[in-house]
Amino acid sequence: MIDVQELTKQYAGRTAVNNISFQVEPGEIVGFLGPNGAGKSTTMRILSGYMPATSGRATVGGFDVFHQSIQVRQSVGYMPENAPLYMDMRVKEYLKFRAELKGLSGLTMRRRIGEVMELTGVTDMRKRLIGNLSKGYRQRVALADALVHKPKLLILDEPTNGLDPVQIRHVRDLLRNLKAKHTVLLSTHILHEVEQTCDRVIMIHQGRIRANDTPANLTRQLRSTTLLHLEIEGTGNLAEKLSSLNAVRKATEEDLLVHPWRRFTLRVEPDHDVRDQVMELAMKEKWRIREMHLQLPTLEDVFVELSMNAGTPTDIPTHVL
Amino acid sequence: MRIFWILLKKELHSFFVSPVAYVVLALVMVLNGFAFRAALSVLENAPSEGSIVSWTFHAMWFWLSYFFIFPLLTMRLFAEEKKLGTLETLFTAPVRAWQVVGSKYLAAVIVYCVLWLPSLFNFKFAHWISAGQVELPSGAMGGAYLILVVMGMFNLAVGCFASSLTANQIVAAIISFTLSLMHFLLGIFIMVVGRKISDTIVDIVNYFAATEHIRIFTAGLIDSRPIIYYLSMSLLFLSFTHHVVEFRRWRP
Repeated sequence: MIDVQELTKQYAGRTAVNNISFQVEPGEIVGFLGPNGAGKSTTMRILSGYMPATSGRATVGGFDVFHQSIQVRQSVGYMPENAPLYMDMRVKEYLKFRAELKGLSGLTMRRRIGEVMELTGVTDMRKRLIGNLSKGYRQRVALADALVHKPKLLILDEPTNGLDPVQIRHVRDLLRNLKAKHTVLLSTHILHEVEQTCDRVIMIHQGRIRANDTPANLTRQLRSTTLLHLEIEGTGNLAEKLSSLNAVRKATEEDLLVHPWRRFTLRVEPDHDVRDQVMELAMKEKWRIREMHLQLPTLEDVFVELSMNAGTPTDIPTHVL
Repeated sequence: MRIFWILLKKELHSFFVSPVAYVVLALVMVLNGFAFRAALSVLENAPSEGSIVSWTFHAMWFWLSYFFIFPLLTMRLFAEEKKLGTLETLFTAPVRAWQVVGSKYLAAVIVYCVLWLPSLFNFKFAHWISAGQVELPSGAMGGAYLILVVMGMFNLAVGCFASSLTANQIVAAIISFTLSLMHFLLGIFIMVVGRKISDTIVDIVNYFAATEHIRIFTAGLIDSRPIIYYLSMSLLFLSFTHHVVEFRRWRP
């Protein structure tokens, strides 16, 4: 459905998307995950035919996004970030305008508008001015607009941004139901959403793809990297001694506790349990330990890791880098 | 073409749903009233060669309204969509840039033409109430409204262009006002300098002198040169607008 090859987009002096390649198969729900400014929106804008890439190639349903822009736009339902809408139109009126633009007419159009209004839950609001609607409803109207012409591909830029938890659940269910008929590419920075809805996650940071796998696989691989939290009373350079232990990648001291207690976080290599070693070391060094707690990282940890360290993230499975 | 009509319908809708069209209409009606009154008082005092039509369009009030109309009608066309972000929604639907530019422009032209309808009523009313003594020469009437429309088309194209440059309506209005004013001032350059300079320059300047065009056309003389000038300049500014709107699609 989507084929992106070595896509790069530069704005004046700044590279927003840097040489990314990925594919999306028909019927998949793919989540684009990354912090703000990672290049998610830019990629989506290029795919929806709004603007061209600086270099590289992208096709949607076999059509080139630059040279066959009109065909691409006919087969894509795009919902931009923040759901921009005409504030002086009424909901149904707006959907009618959009449906006509996208080539629908007559009875088919009226029936379809009814359907998408029902699907997105805006039927009761159909006569209200969009300008008077709450953010959540505007978001839904924009979603209804993206769906109205039964596009093969839905590109949704932060579809749940600004919604309350009930509405988020509603949108998530909606997306799952759409799976049968549509391919969906959605962007978000909410990890939970990706874990719940997507077949596949593409993590993007600073314009580069950092990971591309199913949520289950990613989580499994991540779970094999563990964190060990310690609270120790001791003097000297404890972090250095701790990190010298076998299978400990890194020990960092966290500046949280009152003297003489100190808190450390150890990053431990996959499939290793270093708790016994830590105990032995503590006995040898005459430290007192009051807490030792093993934490299995979540998708969220990687995400934070990705966002914080722009360099080479060590906890991401190396084969997807 | 179908897409074009849908867009045009939407543009007209937003003109008449928002207060813009009505506010401008009210303003133009008031200023037209003053211009008309000024013309009547000229005719009242002494017999005159000029018709009421030509005196109306020579009044200072007319030029006052003339400059306000274009920025007010065109400032929101693109600037508002840019600010709201709806340009993105619009251009991810299967529409082409010329359809968007054309529909917005045509909607503005239609609203502009509607603005002048009440003035037509003024003339008819004067003719009727004076039992035909206030004459309405058909040449003057036809000429006046023809030049009004083509001059409007040019200035609206300038306004369209100004609006496409920015996301701020005020800035768009100021650019459009300044460009229209500069064009007008270039035309009355002769009045300021006088006829001391060479005839060639005078002739050239008269080609785009709006005051001169109004003078000729309201006298009932229909000259094709200004018409061609305004229409081709409109096309030029519309193509500028098209380029600006398509700018994001340019490849470096």
